Amino acid sequence: MTGHTVRLQTLGKVTSCRSDQSLLDAYLRENVWLPHGCTQGTCGSCKLKVLDGEVDHGDAPAFTLTPEEREQGITLACQATPRSDLLVEPLAEVSDDGVVRHPLRDLTGSVVVLEDIARDTRRVVVELTEAMPFNAGQYAELRVPGTGVWRQYSMANPPSETHRLEFHVRRTPGGVATDGWVFASLAVGDAVDVRGPLGVFGISRPQEEPAILIAGGTGLAPMKSMVLHALAEGLVPELYLYHGGRTEADLYDGDLFRALDAEHPHFHYRPCLSEQQWDGASGMVTDVVLEDFATCKGMSAYLCGPPAMVEAAGKVLKRRRMAPRLVFKEEFTDAADLAAAGGPLATAS
Amino acid sequence: MTAVTETPAWIAEITMAELEKNPYPFYERLRREAPVAFVPALGLHIASTRAACQEIGSQSDIWDGVISPAGGRTFGHPNVLNANGPEHDELRGMVDPALQPSEVDRYVDKLVRPIAKRYVEAFENDGHADLVAQFCEPVSVRALGDLMGLQSVSSDKLREWFHKLNVSFTNAAVDENGEFANPDGFIPGDEARAEIRAVLDPLLDKWTVEPDDSALSHWLHDGMPEGQTRDREKIYPTVFVFLLGAMQEPGHAMASTIAGLWSRPEQFERVVDDPKLIRRAITESLRWTSPIWSAVARVNKVDTTVAGTFLPAGSVVMLSYGSANHDGNAYDAPSDYDLDRAPVPHMAFGAGKHGCAGTYFASEVCRIGLEELFETIPNLERDETKGIDFWGWGFRGPVELHANWEV
Repeated sequence: MTGHTVRLQTLGKVTSCRSDQSLLDAYLRENVWLPHGCTQGTCGSCKLKVLDGEVDHGDAPAFTLTPEEREQGITLACQATPRSDLLVEPLAEVSDDGVVRHPLRDLTGSVVVLEDIARDTRRVVVELTEAMPFNAGQYAELRVPGTGVWRQYSMANPPSETHRLEFHVRRTPGGVATDGWVFASLAVGDAVDVRGPLGVFGISRPQEEPAILIAGGTGLAPMKSMVLHALAEGLVPELYLYHGGRTEADLYDGDLFRALDAEHPHFHYRPCLSEQQWDGASGMVTDVVLEDFATCKGMSAYLCGPPAMVEAAGKVLKRRRMAPRLVFKEEFTDAADLAAAGGPLATAS
Repeated sequence: MTAVTETPAWIAEITMAELEKNPYPFYERLRREAPVAFVPALGLHIASTRAACQEIGSQSDIWDGVISPAGGRTFGHPNVLNANGPEHDELRGMVDPALQPSEVDRYVDKLVRPIAKRYVEAFENDGHADLVAQFCEPVSVRALGDLMGLQSVSSDKLREWFHKLNVSFTNAAVDENGEFANPDGFIPGDEARAEIRAVLDPLLDKWTVEPDDSALSHWLHDGMPEGQTRDREKIYPTVFVFLLGAMQEPGHAMASTIAGLWSRPEQFERVVDDPKLIRRAITESLRWTSPIWSAVARVNKVDTTVAGTFLPAGSVVMLSYGSANHDGNAYDAPSDYDLDRAPVPHMAFGAGKHGCAGTYFASEVCRIGLEELFETIPNLERDETKGIDFWGWGFRGPVELHANWEV
């Protein structure tokens, strides 16, 4: 298929984009960094202004890309495909933040580990035929065999392991990728198509602020990668990991984090249960954070989990006066939610 | 096209007190029925629609800058607002260099951020504050004061000066003979001017022999032949303009932005969560409650007609930008604050040769101030037990803005 030439006005970067390829996909494959988040058309962080030429807005939802924005020539880079050569400009600032980015790639691998680790939760480890460099906190997409469906899952392994990717998958009843695949037919040795890395969430550089990581369910996956990377590289002066579940059956990898807690004086692991009394912290994970910190001023936070948890955590941190610019969020929803409202990320169906 | 021969009762009977309390209902009717109207209480015409203000503001060949009688009485002549031609060019040449966007970008963060941090740190652990008195006004006056070279003048003194000059500037009511209806209303402004001169004269003496990078030192020296300084009688009227409008209005704009956002709690939340939205929030606030609401006037050099009203040469017309920015022909639901409003440019900074010199500086002071406030106290909330009263016709903003938060 022939490509159209796409030029970024300020950066002057030129790429070739097929008429069935999203502008974001074309640039990320060239390792030209563009702001983005969900790659599903729901977060709006990849908006571009089309200064010259014509695009097909694809499946961009009206709540993310309003009719007024379309009239003004704005489009979503993750959804838009070119109808002509283009001159475009990202709406968000593209600044050099010192983070090394890795190009988006298509890869193949095979399942080497498939195990139940918590209630309705499986660990899937894929051995790739070639390396996929990524940053701690990023995600990849896995293709559900026999369908055109791709699903997003965060890497749970540290970025030092580029050939072996670990994913945590939570079951969604009736989900195409879960009940239809990971919790049904998938077996060790199966081939898997992988596309990645994607996303901006994570810890990649040294930071001065202590960090609070709050995970709900399989929101632990990117946090595990970030904790392992941050501890190995000494990136964060003080690191608190909160993992919330309803009962002990929802928690996993506790032994690993308890061992890290014992080994590293500046790492603190705090599992929380909302529906079970035990010798650990009880209550909603966000309420436990509220109780634990009199102030969060001067700290940063990374949140990953269901939208309700991420929203509640954001409110708690605001109450404890953490600067909102230092709060980083990754929400995930299942496919049913996506179909109803939009807003993906690392997750399951 | 006929001259207005009879003033309708609803215009004839309007009072300054009513305008200062809430000018919007009167202006809404003006825009509908009399876009350019003579208002006896003020002794001059008012342009109330966006189209009329734009037409007058942009046609420099017909319209000169002029100051209202009360403004002239407060500032003296020549000041940058009422000077025209080469005299205006010289004054703008004096004030503009430090306020050019590229120049402002060079210094504004270093200047304003520490000031904003200092003021918010002073009350961040109290759990409550009047943001007008404790943050918006002090940050506004300290930023410009330091830029001008007035580090030795306290923020409270600078605030006192602009409040007094404001009382005088807006003492606009005239009697049936066109004389000031309330001559004593100029006393506070006169007191402030005398005190300003007593404080500034020694500083100007010093800068005369020891120039530095302060704006007032540049005002003395820039564009003058070697060895000479600008006559300070030419400087003082514009100093008074700055010590009122430029000192007060970024504070008004900051406070109105917060008040506007509090009227839309979900938008307030979004702006606190995403500081990149602060610029847009300020822009909408400038439209919603324009700080310089009705303080800029023009006088025509030739007979002309605007919006159907014949204006013989020499007619003074007040451009009520605060009303133009509520013109229903340009804005849907104009009295609502709405961050997501389609971006139709507002007129808060005026237009033409007399457009505001401090547009960029003022906007940056507001941005940095609000960034620091929301970053330090992201759990800031409106104190629902206290109302928010706006005041002013010439200059307008919230009188007090009570917030509380969990500490």
